[in-house]
Amino acid sequence: MHEFNWGLLIVVYLFLGGLSAGLFFAAGLANYLEVDGQPAYPRIARMGALLAPWPVAIGSGLLILDLGNWYRFYKLFTHFRWESPMSIGSYLLTFFTLIAFVYAFAWLPEDWRQQLFAKVPASWKQAHRLNVDLSAHRKVIAMVGFPFAIGVGIYTGVLLGAVSARPFWNTNLVAQMFLFSALSSGAAALLLAMVLDRRNPIETHETKFLITLDIVFIVLELFIILPYLIHGTLSVLAVKQALWLILGGPYTLVFWVFFLGFGLLAPLGIEVYELAPSLLKGHAFHGSRNLALTASGLVLVGGFLLRYIFVYAGQMSSFHKMGALH
Amino acid sequence: MAMKKKRYALVIDSRKCINCKACVVACKAENEVPVGNFRNWINEDRQGEYPKLRMDFEPEQCHHCEHPSCARVCPTGATWQRKDGIVLVNYDECIGCRYCMVACPYDARYFHEESGTVHKCTLCSHRVDKGDVPACVETCPSKVRVFGDLEDPSSRIHELLATRRHRVKEPQTGNGPQLYYLL
Repeated sequence: MHEFNWGLLIVVYLFLGGLSAGLFFAAGLANYLEVDGQPAYPRIARMGALLAPWPVAIGSGLLILDLGNWYRFYKLFTHFRWESPMSIGSYLLTFFTLIAFVYAFAWLPEDWRQQLFAKVPASWKQAHRLNVDLSAHRKVIAMVGFPFAIGVGIYTGVLLGAVSARPFWNTNLVAQMFLFSALSSGAAALLLAMVLDRRNPIETHETKFLITLDIVFIVLELFIILPYLIHGTLSVLAVKQALWLILGGPYTLVFWVFFLGFGLLAPLGIEVYELAPSLLKGHAFHGSRNLALTASGLVLVGGFLLRYIFVYAGQMSSFHKMGALH
Repeated sequence: MAMKKKRYALVIDSRKCINCKACVVACKAENEVPVGNFRNWINEDRQGEYPKLRMDFEPEQCHHCEHPSCARVCPTGATWQRKDGIVLVNYDECIGCRYCMVACPYDARYFHEESGTVHKCTLCSHRVDKGDVPACVETCPSKVRVFGDLEDPSSRIHELLATRRHRVKEPQTGNGPQLYYLL
């Protein structure tokens, strides 16, 4: 029985880190889009901005808890090792989380911000200096955050892809796969949150925007997964044997049925079914609430499963043990 | 005068191995390796059916690679390589992220539960620095392992590698492993 050094906490962290990156990206993008000089999707931009920092903050906490010596996590920041993806990633993650929190702060409604600072004791004068309105700087903060969001999305894949000892991971495609999966998860999470927010019912043009965004990212992700499978099966023996883990081996069912089927193709099908009539025939876009809930929920499950499969199957793959698997 | 460069390595004549595991026991005692963990082990490979069959024993441990991937991925620099090639873990700097365990192509590392850090074969650097050989080398009854300095032309391993055919395991990983198996 193979021992897994990285377990479920790492899977959850990779998922949450990517989710935040995707939320920030979609929210930042929505912030830039205008129609006739007016912001086109201000509510998407705000919802995404307010949600984005939390998953990565929770994920980073889990990451620290997963360490053998969690209280030594500060040592990540007393060193910088450019050859170590984890070292680079720690800095990326920290900067991204900080920017995401600043961005969320810039989107806080005025009354929420006043309520928040009302809870801070009046004697903390320095803290009250932070009670400033950053809403005029949203575009700048979003622009600063984009590279970090993309960086976090890519880094979660590079963390695995850079390990030459694990043939299942050792390709640049993993980084791109994780990035597009992260961006897709972000769009889906936004759709889910907006649909669930009954006080401010989602409008059809907002549903249409998020569904369109998600379709683009899912298709891009598919275009990475297909070459990953094709190249893998045509590659050197070690990679071919590693691919067996999802082509007949223990992760076959979860990969093909639960990830690719339910987590990717099913939501893609639902979203295309929703969008196609308005796109191809000029019909009005209706946007079914239940279909939006189903599709976005499935995308999130798929994003989680992708990381689950890669973390576990990747650790099983190796140059010297794979022969015994057959 | 500048110190002469050293490069420690092990040559393993696995055909002499009888799978007595004295090396495993010696290592455990010398380095206080916890129950269930190992710094060295013996791979068994059995092929064929009676009466045409073959069984090979192949001792293995950390390969003290020339380009150790464990040291490359370590985010704090806790895993490091001495000038003489020995790859060590500085336990005070190890945060226990286990990236090195994932990155080792030979799965030569283990997680030390008690300290929350990662441990591995040190090539008995504490003995080597006193001029002794590693415990596994000293104890082997059939003289499977030969320890020495590759840079020293008069050493036994220098002679063995010059005159005997040999191989390293999984050279395709690019790690430059330094456990040499005689053929």
